[in-house]
Amino acid sequence: MKDVDIDAFVKKEDITVEYFFEKAKEKFNIKLLTNALGMERKIIEQNLHRPGLALAGFVDLFSYKRVQICGNTEYKYLSQLSHEQRINSLEKLFKFELPCIILTDSNKPTSEMIELAEKFGIPVFGTDYPTTKLTYLVSDFLDDQFAPTYSIHGSFVDVYGVGMLFTGSSGIGKSEVALDLVERGHRLVADDVVILTKKGERILMGSGTNLVKHFMEIRGIGILDIRSMFGVRAIRYQKRLEIIIELEHWNKEHEYTRTGLENKTVKVGDVEIPYVRLPILPGKNITVVSEVLALNYLLKHYGFDAAKVLKKNLATKLKDQSSHIDRVIDDFEHDFE
Amino acid sequence: MIEKKVKIINDAGLHTRPAATIVKLAAKFNSDFFIIRDGLSINGKSIIGVMTLAAEKGSELLLQFDGSDEEEAMETIVDYFERGFDEM
Repeated sequence: MKDVDIDAFVKKEDITVEYFFEKAKEKFNIKLLTNALGMERKIIEQNLHRPGLALAGFVDLFSYKRVQICGNTEYKYLSQLSHEQRINSLEKLFKFELPCIILTDSNKPTSEMIELAEKFGIPVFGTDYPTTKLTYLVSDFLDDQFAPTYSIHGSFVDVYGVGMLFTGSSGIGKSEVALDLVERGHRLVADDVVILTKKGERILMGSGTNLVKHFMEIRGIGILDIRSMFGVRAIRYQKRLEIIIELEHWNKEHEYTRTGLENKTVKVGDVEIPYVRLPILPGKNITVVSEVLALNYLLKHYGFDAAKVLKKNLATKLKDQSSHIDRVIDDFEHDFE
Repeated sequence: MIEKKVKIINDAGLHTRPAATIVKLAAKFNSDFFIIRDGLSINGKSIIGVMTLAAEKGSELLLQFDGSDEEEAMETIVDYFERGFDEM
């Protein structure tokens, strides 16, 4: 498998305020305080902004394109102004093309604020969440909305808690391996179309699409629904991508891993993912090999690397010049079973 | 690699029957075949993939072919799209 450049990932350009409100109203307990005006305005970035300085009149470098969060500071500042001063101050803010404003901590908007917001067509929301908590939650939500995504062809399974993506050419048996793993008690995340979402710098989350969910095609049978067939224990919606396994027909030109001392990786959107190339051979049970790969990954994660341990044992033995090949047990103690 | 934009012209859109036909047509060729919608690229040789597109009437898709018989593959598949999946 070739590295996947981050440029191949796609990102949402914008979301509308209406979409944001629809998704966020229950999550963050947000209510619309103005008429439903300006709901078609666009949010184009995940960062938020506190408009304190803009209200005070300093609008150089004002990040007006961001969602504006009015906390207690902004609210206190506005309430100590006279009616005219307040209109003046708010107009400075509203003449920018803001996507929307959120009032935190159950602060009630002043009448001037509602009037001006409706005049300029900028939606104002209110929430009882404190500013810090709301900022954290909204940033996280928007970060998710604007996260780069990439669709990849393969089967994605949670094997003993390790997110394994099976890739390889059409018809090589990715779905069959996934089905086999499900039968052995592992959980299917997605088959065929896997959407990878980059979270932070080092994490790729994989999930299916909302239409297909846990449907799967097995050649010769047709379309199956894993959830209906194996129950809810056999599926999950999301999993971090931890190993990519590429299935291929045995190719004598290719070198396959023997010791496992060198860890091969493939870069997917700048994230290094451990990568294994598995040849399909008669007598090779890919499902069992995959389970063992997952267990070995876990062992390494918890600090035991079999290849390194054997390498060390060999080095110790080599230093001890007089040593020769010994049985693991030197006395059978009359146990001839 | 060659590519072409196509539009869905039949009323029912790209539903199960044409999706199955597309993957069967594509499977006859050695070339890789991808369909791209809204930046999402799916393998055109997989039925689940093609159904994932949920391409309704009027939607535009980008077809990508890559391989030794790409010209022939493109001709066959684009023709099927242009015939409105034989539902016109």
